[in-house]
Amino acid sequence: MPLTEYPNLTSAADAFAAGEVSAIALTEACLARIAAHNPAVNAVIRLDADLARERAARLDAARSRGEAMGPLAGVPMMHKDMYYREGHVSTCGSKIRSHFVAPVTATVLSRLDAAGAIDCGTLNMAEFAQNATGHNAHFGDCRNPWNTDHCTGGSSSGSGAAVAAGFAYAALGSDTGGSIRLPATMCGVTGLKPTQTRVPRTGVMPLSFSCDNVGPLVRSARDAARFLKVVAGRDALDPTSAREPVPDYEAALTGDLRGSRIAVIETYFLDGADATVVAAFDAALEVLAARGASITRIALPMMRAVNACTALLSRVESAAIHANWMRDRPQDYATHLSARIYIGYGVPVASYVGALSLRGPLLREFVAEALSAYDLVATPTLRIRVPTRAETDADADSANWGRMMAASANTRPFNYLGLPTVSIPCGFDDRGLPVGLQLAGRPFAEARVLAAADAFQRDTDWHLRSPTLA
Amino acid sequence: MDQDFTDSTIAAIARWHGIAVPNPLALVALADLEASLAEYAAIREGLLFEDEPSSFEAALAATKEPG
Repeated sequence: MPLTEYPNLTSAADAFAAGEVSAIALTEACLARIAAHNPAVNAVIRLDADLARERAARLDAARSRGEAMGPLAGVPMMHKDMYYREGHVSTCGSKIRSHFVAPVTATVLSRLDAAGAIDCGTLNMAEFAQNATGHNAHFGDCRNPWNTDHCTGGSSSGSGAAVAAGFAYAALGSDTGGSIRLPATMCGVTGLKPTQTRVPRTGVMPLSFSCDNVGPLVRSARDAARFLKVVAGRDALDPTSAREPVPDYEAALTGDLRGSRIAVIETYFLDGADATVVAAFDAALEVLAARGASITRIALPMMRAVNACTALLSRVESAAIHANWMRDRPQDYATHLSARIYIGYGVPVASYVGALSLRGPLLREFVAEALSAYDLVATPTLRIRVPTRAETDADADSANWGRMMAASANTRPFNYLGLPTVSIPCGFDDRGLPVGLQLAGRPFAEARVLAAADAFQRDTDWHLRSPTLA
Repeated sequence: MDQDFTDSTIAAIARWHGIAVPNPLALVALADLEASLAEYAAIREGLLFEDEPSSFEAALAATKEPG
């Protein structure tokens, strides 16, 4: 079955619910694409084909008995290898945890199971979710399906590549500084980082307790809306999860942007941007304007303060988590990762606490300046063209360090601010690699963010395009 | 990169965390840290802390979209 028959999560789920296609057929189609193309893409860490077939057969049998089906029933998925499933190994993309058997099942996996999703296995990722390019010294770099010489983006590298290549209809990623949105933009799929606290983190490998987020990589904004409805909401096991009600996100997808006000922040986010990226971004703004949105370009000097504080938080929190391994077995990390973790120990504690304490005031200031007179802000997700794996490989050449670290420049401020942010495909650069449009809204405004993304996707077909795999 | 910063940071990390420089790339990374700390020092005097009680979660709730 070609991917074009059911090109995204919602079409596959709706077809299964209507009895038009079996879960077995959807699963076999994904497994066939994995068998054919994963050797070139290297997105998969563990394939649970037999478990997936058993699960699909049970769903088909349940449907034939007339049992109620969940909103994601029959849909094959795979997830970043840092979502724990009790009794299964979760490598976190590392050598250090290559034999780590998870003691619990992540709440988000339990919720996806309950919604009828089919879990086909685990996906490649940056080691311990800590680079923005997708390099991995232990499992091999995941390859961008659009051009295997180029980065997938990280850290959810396998999630972006697997969804783009049709190995799965959806994949969980995690996002501490852009790790959902960067592979989404570089692989040409849709990625949603929800509001901080919106989705519980129970049973998810920690990186930075202040900035970690759970969210999906999928093939449309509507897919993200349906997925988020399933995984969002308070979890008694995660006291940091929000008590905010979970709305019907799909109901908000009306296609109508009349009256919507979108701010383009010109300060910082466009600094040094590649012309080919700016051209795609400007064209995307015209699409939104044609749907009825007003577009206003604004300056935002406070971005300097946001960035200064952003640079400190996750470094320190990651350093604390990894301290014992950094003392006892630093050689088991990739070179770039031990270097990255190391500098976290050099942040003065008063600076870290200052950056943490200023998060609330800076969020209030950002909302007052950018999200009061406007409903959304728009930026390119990645301000440069998708780089090659070679030119960002800091392990091979320390001169590449700066390019490796710069990839998350446009995404990480929204982690510090905790705002819901989506990345959607909006074109291709002059080398044929995807370009992404990033939209952010107020806290818990996922419905508005996704509504704008969906409206854009009603008038464009960038999200429907698939790479040609050899 | 300021050699004093490098030397003193390496010494402090070793003293307080028991962790040695893992590889030469970490010295390159230290330049990033120096720049980050300098940037924070440049902006901190212009920032105002909130009166207590204050929290980021409270700010998320206070700034969410009406309705």
